[in-house]
This record gives sequence, C-alpha cells and structure tokens, in this order.
Amino acid sequence: MTSVAESAAGRTGAGGTVVDGARREDIVGGAGGAGLAFRLERAGLGYGRDAVLREVELEVAPGEVLVVVGASGSGKSTLLRALAGLLPPSEGRILAGGREVTGPSADRAMVFQDDGLLPWRSVRRNVELPLRIRGVARSERGRAAQEWIEKVGLAGFARHLPRELSGGMRQRVQLARALVGAPRAVLMDEPFGALDAQTRAEMQRLLLEVLRETSATVVFVTHDVEEALLLADRVAVLGRTGVRAVLDVPVGDEARTNLRERILEEL
Amino acid sequence: MAGPRTAPHSPSPGPGTDPATVSDAVSDAENAPATGPGTADADSKNAIGSTGPTAPVSGGPGAPDGTAGGLTASRGAAGGQAVLRWGIRAASLPAAAGLWQVLTAADARLWLRFDRLPTLGEIAERFGAQLTTSLYYLDLLQSLIRILTGFGLAAVAGIATGILVARSRRAGDVLLPLLEAVRPIPAIALVPIAILLFPTDEQGIVFITFTAAFFPVTVSTRHAVRALPTIWEEAVRTLGGTRRHVLWNVVLPGILPGVFGGLSVGMGVAWICVISAEMISGEFGVGYRTWHAYTVVDYPGVIVGMITIGVLGWLTSAAIELIGRRATGWLPRAEGSRR
Repeated sequence: MTSVAESAAGRTGAGGTVVDGARREDIVGGAGGAGLAFRLERAGLGYGRDAVLREVELEVAPGEVLVVVGASGSGKSTLLRALAGLLPPSEGRILAGGREVTGPSADRAMVFQDDGLLPWRSVRRNVELPLRIRGVARSERGRAAQEWIEKVGLAGFARHLPRELSGGMRQRVQLARALVGAPRAVLMDEPFGALDAQTRAEMQRLLLEVLRETSATVVFVTHDVEEALLLADRVAVLGRTGVRAVLDVPVGDEARTNLRERILEEL
Repeated sequence: MAGPRTAPHSPSPGPGTDPATVSDAVSDAENAPATGPGTADADSKNAIGSTGPTAPVSGGPGAPDGTAGGLTASRGAAGGQAVLRWGIRAASLPAAAGLWQVLTAADARLWLRFDRLPTLGEIAERFGAQLTTSLYYLDLLQSLIRILTGFGLAAVAGIATGILVARSRRAGDVLLPLLEAVRPIPAIALVPIAILLFPTDEQGIVFITFTAAFFPVTVSTRHAVRALPTIWEEAVRTLGGTRRHVLWNVVLPGILPGVFGGLSVGMGVAWICVISAEMISGEFGVGYRTWHAYTVVDYPGVIVGMITIGVLGWLTSAAIELIGRRATGWLPRAEGSRR
C-alpha cells in the first residue's frame, strides 16, 4: 500500500509541485502551503442526539484528491459541510491547516450539486464574486474571471444568466467560481450528480485537467464508485457508522477492479 | 480546453432554445442598447428565439420538425378564438358606458336612482372644463406628492424592517409583537391620531399613507427573506463573504420578486388611504376635490374625480409592475415573454 503523500504526488507531480512525505508533515503541522490539510478528531457531525456521523477520524493530505463515497443518507454532504465550516461539529474538532475550523472561509471553496450560482448574476459576475468579496480591483477581477471562464470552456457565455445555460454549463461556472480565488481547498458536493452520463464524463475530464493547474486539496463527495476511482488519489468509504475505510487508488486495471470490489463490500 | 464542449450533448437551457440560439439572441440584445421593450428589431436574429408564434422558422417551442405543421394549423384555429376574445374585451367597456348613458339620460328610477347621476355628455363636458384649470393639476400634483412621499418612505422602511425581523432573532423578538399589534388596525382609523400628532394636515396625510403601505411591504419582505434558499447564502459564505456580503449579494437581490408583490399591494392601499384622508382633512388633492364636488352638488365633478383617481392608481401600479419586471429579469419566464 502506497503512502498518502505518494498518491497525492502522483497528481501534483504533473503540475510541477511534488509533495514529499517530509514536507507533508510540516504542512499538517500548520506551517501552511498551497494545499490545505484537514484532520477530523473524534468529530460528531449532525444535529442533536441523532448525529449523522459520530467519532469521525479522518485525515486529508495537502494537495490530494480525496473522494468520499457512501450511500445516500450516510452523511457525505454533512461531512463536507463540516469541512467547509457551514456546520459546526457537535463534538470533537475539525482542523484545517492545523487551525480549528470555526466558520466558512475563502480558503475552502465549495461547489454545490446544483443551483449554487446566484441566478441574477451573469456568468462573469458569478465568477467574479469571490474576487469582489476580497476587494480585488474591477479590471483585475474581470481579467481573472475571463481567464477562468475560458479555462472551463465557456468563452462567449460570459454575459449569460445561469438560467440560460444547461446543467453541465452551470457546473462549469461553479468550478470556475470556486477556483478563480485560488483557494487552498475545494470541497465538491456531488457536483456532477444531476448530469447525464455523457456530460458527467466530460465534466470529470475537465476537472482532472483543471486540477492539474492547482495544488489545492480536493474533497469530492459522490455516490458513484466509478467516479471515485477515476478522480481520487484516495477513497474514503462512508457507512452508517462513520468512515469505514480509507483506500489508496492504485495504478493498473486489475488493482482497480479489486479496489472497486473492496469499496462495494464496505458500502 | 477550447470551446463549450457541453453544448452539443447537454440538455438545452430551455424549451425550444438551443445554446447557440440563446447565444445569438442575448449578444444581439446586448449589442443593441437602444432597443427598448416592445420595439421590434426586424432584421436581428433575436427575433427567432423570442417571438414564437410569428416566427414559423423556429419550428415552435421545442417541437420536432415533424409536428410543426400540425402545430401551425391548431394555431390558426386558436388565432380565430383570440380575435373573438379581443373583440369581446374591447366591446365590454363601451357597452357598460352605453348602459350608463341609457339609464342616466332616461332618468331611470329602478330602486337605484339613476336620475341623480350625470350623463356621459355632462361628465365629458365637466372633464374638458377641468382640464383647462390650473386647480385640477394642482390637486393632482398634491395627491401625487403625498402618495409618493408616504409610499416611498414605506417602501424603504418596510423593506428594512422586513429584512431586520427575518434576519435577526433579537430584532424579531422586539419588533414582531409590536408590528402584529398595530397591523390589524386599518390605517384610515389612525386619522384622529394623525391630526392630534402632527402639526399640519399635510404631514398627517403622509403618515396615514405611509402606515397603509408599510405593512404589506414589511410582511412580504419578511416572507421573501425567509423563503430564500439557503444555498445562495452558503455559496457566498464559502467564497469568503461576511453577513454584509450576504445581505448585499444574496438577500437584497433575492427577495426582489417577493418585495414587488408587497409594493404592488402597498401602492393600492396607499391610494385608498390618501384619498380617504384627503376627503376627511385635506385642503387640496384629488380626494378633497372629489368630496368637495359632492358637497356643492357638482355630481359630474365627482365622476371626474373618480376617473382621475382611477387613472392615477392605474399609472402608479403599472409603474411598479414595470420596474419590478426590470429588476427581476433573471427569473425564469414563460416561453415568448422575455423581458
């Protein structure tokens, strides 16, 4: 079994940033860096007595793509919302970059399943939003937004409203909006779950392509095991009782077939 | 990657509009800023996506080519129906006016006593005479100033209060009991208080108008805030936005559709109250003039006043409707009725 850092390096290596084991320890220790590390310590997530998840122990290495798979109702979204800081843990703690998560931050951008765009803002103004919030000058944010709109393949659609776009195009906009502010982590909540198979495959390719340019940590939630195997450095399997296994995604078809069976077993 | 790869595969954004058409329509619309609503630009491509029935080239909303002919035929029949309906609509008002004329000219007394009411001719004559006096316009202006002041203040205060009680628990605890206690009192019942409280009648009338419009605006704003999907707020917060950013970028634009409903209702009751208040305690204004006409047995003048009030009410409501449509152009609309 390869180490977390090696599998993370498998992706980031292509972009030029190699995260080796020693440096990873530094970053987890809170020294900062490009990708954000997460650590959940005996975290209880959910409301009141009927906590959706209890005593969650999970580590996410900086720069890796961790895909969380689980059946519906297993608390995948809850886990993601907790990492985003939208849902404070009822017990235990959540650390991001060594610091306790107390609320949402621009460091941890989120991509929602659908309808996360502000419908009264055009594509460009949606993508510009994080920069506007940060007080970036108008010309600068227009340039950056345009660059990302082109990167996600929406050149020519900058002035469209979200309702004038298809579901896949709207998710492209969300992706651009999440990445334009160069966050240290991107949290994706079944972003392709509502798309047809063909569009989903395209979006997955686009995501892999775009992620090569960033060293941000990615936590990606899905119920689709194939999607997990395609995108992940590591896969976390979520069952009714919490995180059941965290598995490295190996190279090679046979090894992947074995892993797929292992995941389906854990589910 | 180059070009929007999703376009050929993904579902089109709306019935009958493939992304390319949308693209053309929108960019054309944006390239022609002089083109206002309703001014058809004959040669522009945007005619195709938006005009529906009059543009058979487009194949109709979402219709596969095979069924386009059938649709056109059924549209022809529907067209005949539409003409008939418009004919009936156009005839309905003159018919009612004709009935009025018959009853008043014949001095009919059928339990209802039409003999006291003026005929159309008398009304028209009076209206013509009034239009030449400066007093008529002075009254009109006076009423408009009152309603715009009262309504304007109510819109600002109502939206602010509605947001405050919906977004802040503490503010809600303090203000909601107060609001709920005062709300059932019809604003016009506040006339004695207004006379006692304010130094001049003018301020009292504006106060009554304000109170009338304030509650519908507050209530609709409050409900609109509470009905906002949480995902927009979460999106802005995970992009680094503070509560202030959420207020300006999510709450204010997001509640507009609901708020405009409240503004429409508010404008209606504001007119009721400004006219009533003028009848009770005004020295100028359309309401005062109408009541005054009654007391000096100038019955055609009463009808002229009524018509004036109706036209003013209709104009102000239409203005709000128009502004509302402009401000909420992002809402999904039925095919063929683009902003």
